[in-house]
Amino acid sequence: MGGETMIPKDLLINKQPAPQIHSVAEVQFKGDEKPLFAVVGDLELDSKYGEGAVYVSENKIVSVGNMFDGGFISLDFASIDEIKVKRMYGNAFLRAKTVGGSTIDLMRFTFAAADICDAAADFITKVKAGETVESRFAAVESAFRNMRSFCPKCGRKLPYPNAECLNCQGKSKIFSTLARYIKPHVGTLLICIVLSVITTVAALVPPYVTSLMVDNVIPNKDKRMLIYVILFLLGIYLAQYAIGAVRAYILRVTGDKIIADLKKEIYAKAQYLPMKFYDKTSTGSVINRVNSDTTILQQFMLRITQEAVVQFFTMFGIIVIMLTMNWKLTLLSLIPVPIVVFCSRYFGKKIGPLYHRIWRRSVSISSILSDTIPAVRVVKSFSSEEKAIGKFSRHVDDWLYEDKKVAKVSAIFPAIITFLITCGSVIIWFVGGNMVIETPEKLSLGVLVSFISYTSMFYNPVNFFANLSDSYQNALASTEKVLDIINAEPEHNFGKGSELENVSGKIEFRNVNFSFDRSKKVLNDVNFVIEPGDVVGIVGTTGSGKSTLINLLMRFYDDYDGEILIDDKNIKDIDMSYYRSQIGYVQQEPMMFHDTIFNNIAYSCPNAHPEQVLNAADIANAHGFISRLPNSYDTVLGERGIGLSGGEKQRLSIARAVLKNPGILIFDEATSAVDSETEKLIQDAINNLIRGRTTLMIAHRLSTLRKANKIIVVDKGNIIEFGSPEELMALKGKYYKLIQIQSMSEQVAAEKAAENFE
Amino acid sequence: MPRNFIDGNEIRLTVKDKIFCDVEFYSGQKFENLEPRRLFPVSGLSEYITFLDENGDEQFIVRKLDNMEPEQKALLQGCLDEYYRIPRITKLITRTEKHKIWMWTVDTDRGVYTFEIINHIQSMKMFHDKRILIKDGNDNFYEIPNIYELDKRSQKLILPDM
Repeated sequence: MGGETMIPKDLLINKQPAPQIHSVAEVQFKGDEKPLFAVVGDLELDSKYGEGAVYVSENKIVSVGNMFDGGFISLDFASIDEIKVKRMYGNAFLRAKTVGGSTIDLMRFTFAAADICDAAADFITKVKAGETVESRFAAVESAFRNMRSFCPKCGRKLPYPNAECLNCQGKSKIFSTLARYIKPHVGTLLICIVLSVITTVAALVPPYVTSLMVDNVIPNKDKRMLIYVILFLLGIYLAQYAIGAVRAYILRVTGDKIIADLKKEIYAKAQYLPMKFYDKTSTGSVINRVNSDTTILQQFMLRITQEAVVQFFTMFGIIVIMLTMNWKLTLLSLIPVPIVVFCSRYFGKKIGPLYHRIWRRSVSISSILSDTIPAVRVVKSFSSEEKAIGKFSRHVDDWLYEDKKVAKVSAIFPAIITFLITCGSVIIWFVGGNMVIETPEKLSLGVLVSFISYTSMFYNPVNFFANLSDSYQNALASTEKVLDIINAEPEHNFGKGSELENVSGKIEFRNVNFSFDRSKKVLNDVNFVIEPGDVVGIVGTTGSGKSTLINLLMRFYDDYDGEILIDDKNIKDIDMSYYRSQIGYVQQEPMMFHDTIFNNIAYSCPNAHPEQVLNAADIANAHGFISRLPNSYDTVLGERGIGLSGGEKQRLSIARAVLKNPGILIFDEATSAVDSETEKLIQDAINNLIRGRTTLMIAHRLSTLRKANKIIVVDKGNIIEFGSPEELMALKGKYYKLIQIQSMSEQVAAEKAAENFE
Repeated sequence: MPRNFIDGNEIRLTVKDKIFCDVEFYSGQKFENLEPRRLFPVSGLSEYITFLDENGDEQFIVRKLDNMEPEQKALLQGCLDEYYRIPRITKLITRTEKHKIWMWTVDTDRGVYTFEIINHIQSMKMFHDKRILIKDGNDNFYEIPNIYELDKRSQKLILPDM
């Protein structure tokens, strides 16, 4: 050793292990041999939480952990027959099978370390198979980069490298986010506040006038003064309600503008959120946020910016007037205030979580609605109406159960607060009444009556602030949900990155690994190159990873390891919007919008000339059936294209792609759900479209791949065969078998059809 | 091919390598290196256990664990416990939250651990039997068998989110 450590200081490692793990490991590396990278796991082999680690060099792997004799085990690559990650449920093993036939568990870990352990196993397997250490180490580095996208401040995982850490944004972020929507309307809201102050002052006048009436006008029987006072009061009330009406109108319009801005922004943001967000968030939840939560927020913002200000001025004005009238009674009337404040704080703590729970129940209801209403045909076809009603009722009952709890708390607490306020008035009546009886020179009846009026008015704002916590908690629950969308990381390079001069269509996958979640790896070290103009068929069994290849190429998911290149440029460096505009994507289940056929085709190119749309429909073999419809291109489709057959929708989808005129075309099982005759029409349409373009076609029916000059065979996330159809047939591998099976089944189908015909 | 359902008392297991087992039917039929898996890992822990061979093909399904002989049941249960690692939370030690990213430090039957919950609305599910299933930011699962059997403080911290 000579005192020199064999563990490099800049070792690629996912986290620092306990020092003794490092010291056990470094003894195993001698001379110039050093580990290239290490993975620290978080479980013992017996599945308890603990620490273990593997250190990988160019030719051996050292596993360190308490479970091994001597605290480690070292295996040369040459002694390993197979090494892989065995994923289980919530945990995994890095497992090696030795040349001698024994199986050794090198490390156990939760899914936190699964991706990099996969990379480690791949590294060893490929280096053993003869690939260069440098090329394989690049793949390991890529996996670590993805793994190590942590916030340098708080250590939490970031959605992508250098993303802004939501955790490290200040608490004020919530309020500054909301303030953003109020800012454009500050002027109008200020006018409303001025109007509010006028109405508040007007509201404070009548009780004062009452004392004049009781003490002077009525006892002196001054009818002339009475008329003046009445006229004055009428004027005050008229001004108060007229100004109030104007203010209400302005507030309503301003509030609607705020909510409109909020809804627009949430919807706009939702358009740019990555597919991962939608994989984990129900449609009902998003709809709930756009509709209900924005309304709650708008109401809260107006309460804060308007009513709170008004109530504050009212409270302040009343206290000043009351103090000038009688300071002793004023102090008496303030006795219940601390109790009211204490109660309101307690109330807030109690009701906040209940609002969260109500929100969850509301989302469940929305989710059922968004799930079952579009699928009403399925419900009816299985006569499941009652079942659907029952399920919905159960969820509504759950909501009702939670809402009852809120109703109980909401009813009891304000009642308690109001009772306390009434106690304050009763105290004033008792003490003030005695004062009027015993020392009328110090307190007149008129002043007492007026004081009582002010006291009841004073508790309105107190009550308001006491109940503000209720709406605050409700708004906070909604704010969190809205910010969940507004603050979510969008697909991050819209409007960023470069554009290619023109897309010739070369596609390269380089060491690509991907999993939707860490429990199952979907693509495993995918490598292939497609040349410009190639027509490539992607085949494999269901669930083999064919569509995932396309999902990554479309950049629906960006958090894969490795690189995908178009014309030798990493697709992550290309502006997202531009990139997707270069790809025509025809899905298995084409989505149509509730709009005219013309607009549905022109969706990819909204400013298209009508003749371009007609031409696109013609190339897609769609013009014929469209022109036979009574309203032809003006036919309005039902939701999701109801009114058209599957094949017709598919041809409209192809017409969309034609109009887009992309450099790369992708067909994801475009003919899987149609009959043979329609398939031929669609196939002809596809053949018209693919000339001269790089085309990727996923197909179950291999007969649809006649035009393909290359075939990719995917199996369990691996590319097991890649080459021309002739090469793969000669290989007699999986593709050959698939062709054999399909030829036989087609023959049987043809024979059966012939028998039926006869 | 029809599914081969068996009641469970007609087989004898030999556990190999923690999660794999050899199975012998009393009729004499033998299978090697089968991997038992739950068909209902969330809703039915002791029912419908499927046995997959090395190619992932199902060989048979045991209807109920409880139908097996106690010794055999314990062996199979051990296999399943190795495969399905769902630590049982016995106490919530700390819980911090910022912008809906929750950091929980918990005591479990497998030791103390800290994990992150990215979206507590999606990642926490309470069942009618008061069981709570939690999924962390790394797709690991945790279970609270009965929320009302936890200490009061843990209940107070968890229940408002359910």
